[in-house]
Amino acid sequence: MFSKRSKNKDDALNDEELVSALQKHMDTERFGVLYDRYTTKVYQKCLGMTRDKDLAKDLTHDIFLKAFMNLSKFDHRSKFGTWLYSITYNYCLDTLRKGQRTRSEEIDERIEDGVIDDQAYEAKLLGLRADRLDLVIAQLDPSDRALLLMKYQEDLSVKEIMEVMALQESAVKMRILRARERALRLYVQLYPEEP
Amino acid sequence: MSENPFKIIRPTDQPPESLRKDVMSSVKFVMLMMRFVQLFVADLGMSMFDKVRHISSDGQPSANSGKDRSGPDL
Repeated sequence: MFSKRSKNKDDALNDEELVSALQKHMDTERFGVLYDRYTTKVYQKCLGMTRDKDLAKDLTHDIFLKAFMNLSKFDHRSKFGTWLYSITYNYCLDTLRKGQRTRSEEIDERIEDGVIDDQAYEAKLLGLRADRLDLVIAQLDPSDRALLLMKYQEDLSVKEIMEVMALQESAVKMRILRARERALRLYVQLYPEEP
Repeated sequence: MSENPFKIIRPTDQPPESLRKDVMSSVKFVMLMMRFVQLFVADLGMSMFDKVRHISSDGQPSANSGKDRSGPDL
């Protein structure tokens, strides 16, 4: 009875109020409210990154555990959702990078080579057929994949991506640009008959 | 204008039902461990610092060394 009333009260709190309450007193029921609010989003992000349901389930479990253990470090400077996204993004990337050869930044010299028509690249990327884009995204480097999903699937602003990736604005913009280029290059490799 | 293809390929799967139970069990376990460690470490610290005495170079306890619970020497 008490537990149900307490849960209803917790349901009425916003994320930051819930986290503040949890920082004062850890409570699994209360944490469960946060879990219920974010589990689908976190699971779907993990699935988008890994393309593997079992792995996405394991990652979601670990991400919520990490969030619980680090809740005292949340400083309320960003939204709770952004903070949780940051854990999700970094944990998925770390997992995917394990055992994977690190790519060199071979693209740097191309950036310097000439003027990049950034808007044309974006239009071309957003004009791809969904099934083909899906294949391109699946084969992209995990960090490029994460970045493009954040930008075009989650509609995160550059500022939010800066918070998630802990990077400066110029670095985020450059990485988005590079990720777009790599995606289009991969598309041309996969579908050479297309213009 | 055509729809953003990134939105079309977005996963719509729901997390498995069993996941909530797994996460909550792990959270409870972690909380229990944290409390246990907190209790153990706090007690260990108390008992350790209780025994610490700062000894100066001449081998005598310094004025601000740890509390001497045995009281003044008679």
